[in-house]
Amino acid sequence: MAGRLLLVGRLLLRDLRRRPLETVLLLLAIAAATGTLTMALALDDVAARPYERTRAVTAGPDVAVTPHSTGTDALAELAPLTTADGVTGHSGPYPIAYLTMTAAGKKVHTVVEGRDGAPALLDRPAVTSGTWTRPGGVVVERAFADALGVRTGDTVSIEGRDLKVLGTAVTAARAAYPYAQWHYPGSILVERGGLVWVDPADIAALNGGRPLSYTLNLRLADRDASAGYGSRDVYSSWQDIADANARLYVAAQTVLVIGGWLLTGLALAGVAGIVAGRVVARRRRVGLLKAVGAGPAMVAAVHVAEYLTIGLAAAGIGLAAGWFAAPVLISPGAGLIGSVGGSPPALRTVVAAVALALAIAVVATVGPVLRAATTSTVHALADSPSPPRRRGGRVRLSRRLPTAVLLGLRINARRPRRARLVTLNAFVTVTALVGILTVRAQRESFDLGYTEMANPRVERGQQALLVLTVAVCALALVNTVVHTWSAVLDARRPLAVARTLGATPGQAAASVAVAQLLPALLGVAAGLPGGIVLVALAGTGRIDYPPASWLLATMLAALLVIGAMAAVPALAAARRPVADALRSTPA
Amino acid sequence: MTGAMLLQARGLSRRYGSDDTLVRAVDDIDLDVPAGQALAVMGPSGCGKSTLLQLLGGLQRPTGGEVWLGGRRVDTMSERALAKLRRDRIGFVFQDFHLMDELTAVENVELAALLAGQPPRRARRRATYLLDRVGLADRARHLPSELSGGQRQRVAIARALSNEPDVVLADEPTGNLDTAATHEVLRLFDELRAAGQTLVVVTHDARIAAVADRVISMRDGAFADSLHVGR
Repeated sequence: MAGRLLLVGRLLLRDLRRRPLETVLLLLAIAAATGTLTMALALDDVAARPYERTRAVTAGPDVAVTPHSTGTDALAELAPLTTADGVTGHSGPYPIAYLTMTAAGKKVHTVVEGRDGAPALLDRPAVTSGTWTRPGGVVVERAFADALGVRTGDTVSIEGRDLKVLGTAVTAARAAYPYAQWHYPGSILVERGGLVWVDPADIAALNGGRPLSYTLNLRLADRDASAGYGSRDVYSSWQDIADANARLYVAAQTVLVIGGWLLTGLALAGVAGIVAGRVVARRRRVGLLKAVGAGPAMVAAVHVAEYLTIGLAAAGIGLAAGWFAAPVLISPGAGLIGSVGGSPPALRTVVAAVALALAIAVVATVGPVLRAATTSTVHALADSPSPPRRRGGRVRLSRRLPTAVLLGLRINARRPRRARLVTLNAFVTVTALVGILTVRAQRESFDLGYTEMANPRVERGQQALLVLTVAVCALALVNTVVHTWSAVLDARRPLAVARTLGATPGQAAASVAVAQLLPALLGVAAGLPGGIVLVALAGTGRIDYPPASWLLATMLAALLVIGAMAAVPALAAARRPVADALRSTPA
Repeated sequence: MTGAMLLQARGLSRRYGSDDTLVRAVDDIDLDVPAGQALAVMGPSGCGKSTLLQLLGGLQRPTGGEVWLGGRRVDTMSERALAKLRRDRIGFVFQDFHLMDELTAVENVELAALLAGQPPRRARRRATYLLDRVGLADRARHLPSELSGGQRQRVAIARALSNEPDVVLADEPTGNLDTAATHEVLRLFDELRAAGQTLVVVTHDARIAAVADRVISMRDGAFADSLHVGR
């Protein structure tokens, strides 16, 4: 057994070293899919961990209670809660006012909380820059400050009164901007807004002498009991607050999960193309292994070990890339403390990424590897390509077509599997691009009462879209190069024969481009509705479609790139003398 | 089947196509090769001698007849059993050498031993000994691309001997070699014959007869005549 393992390992390493470009392409294809999936899963962890950390550091409450009533009625309503069954501690009640703040030229709904520096059992906001409150100043929740572009030392205005920004802070007692739950006193209707803290001495004046609202923080004996503590417009459990914070990443996560599957399709198309080429290129080695006594299982093991190793390496690369890239989608001003992505990814993320990478490797390789393992030893030793399938119907049809189309149709008729991979690649690429264009065409902003500000959830989604666009375009290009090269190599002999019969080099090159464009055309045509359906299935509500000119340009660009990438190597191959091509390729 | 014969074939046939396109690559051949005999099968290109060798070595399955090696019927074996048979009892030498380009000479030679499950150290010792025997001890760590054609074929012969096979089957072993390299290979085959190694060599090179105990001529898939060489 040790000898066989040594042999498998030796062949694996030598092969990887011998074909570094293909190895890099395989790694890239699989890592792109696993990286995107990792990023999607990591957003959960990345969003949850800082909240947990913030909750621990700021002594976050299990429940924050904010009654609809104001003034003494509110205080009377809150008083018995501090001694209720299951309550083990409290802080507050603290006065709050639902006001309007003007900062950097924008008016926004603002929840103003009156807090001094006195120690509190629960909810001790952590100052992330500047200092804590004092009379005449304001401390702004960090995500809110980031959204407004406010910094320590700036001046903001609340209800017409200028206040100096003393610092920024984070809390776990209320969700970060824009989910601070601004509402009119006495109303159950909640609107989006941000949180600021002022000195208790200032809040009554800011509120114009109107009765103040109050908030009370509770600690429960059973912190998990907080989820069912009371109605949500009055009682905010720590789970509610955590969910509200996580809502920021929903759009990005949806984009990345769907993108991960699209990239998996592209990776499969690419890896299957590369693996088929590699297995064919090593046909003689398969014959030799069999001749010296390797059984089908050993031949399969030699191949599968290689692709599983590449899959595992790609999973590692994808995991690392996805994990380190995920915090980029969470801006530092996310209203939470602690660095994101510092700790290792969760086990489920690792398992999912590794499983996806191995699944891509196995699904893409099982066909070619099984064919290699069961191929005739004599054929393998002779390195004779598997005979192309005869498609009588297509051959008859192509007789009436121009030379380039005739040859292109027959090239595809020889290798239908490769043509299907080209269709799959074009379909997934155009589906993804149309989906991305459609999502980008959506117009959404937050109404903050007096002004409209960018929706941070959409902003994160757009960042995820950018990541996805780059990954899709890169993988699609890699796949096109792989499919084109294998088509050019495979068509060398039939095209050389066609040239001996009078086809020009231009016609030969054009035929390869046609051979790629015909199946791609199907994929591109199907990709247009595919992308729109994808967005319709994933989204909710009305869809704003991108202009038809954008969609048409995307489809034409995809076809143009595929045609050009096929024509260039085909022209280079067509420049070679016919005799060379006939000599260098097996019959 | 007689127990004294190492390799036997009865009514061995390999046909391709049917009716008008029927080709009889090997046509109803009977063959007996006793242990220790060096047999040369000669004939023009396309006469079926390579197909005969492939049938004898279990690389192809016959369409008719039987093949026996060391008392075991070969043509009905499963792929797995055939692989084990080739691993343990048959050594192949090919016209195109069929060395693995990415492995060094010594790694190519120990390939069969590792496949047979031998411990790596033992496989390496045996490979080093065999390379020394074919005169290539100083080329052990060279890649095939760094060796001449004759040297590559000697590495292939060393590999064929790796598991001490009952029989070495060689297909045009001098077909791609120049005169000097051909002489090197012929000398090696002569040494093997002298050492009692059973050899079946198919070739159209008449010089092979010099190292054979028996020469069979083949034409159109059948034996034309057989000649025992006196020594």
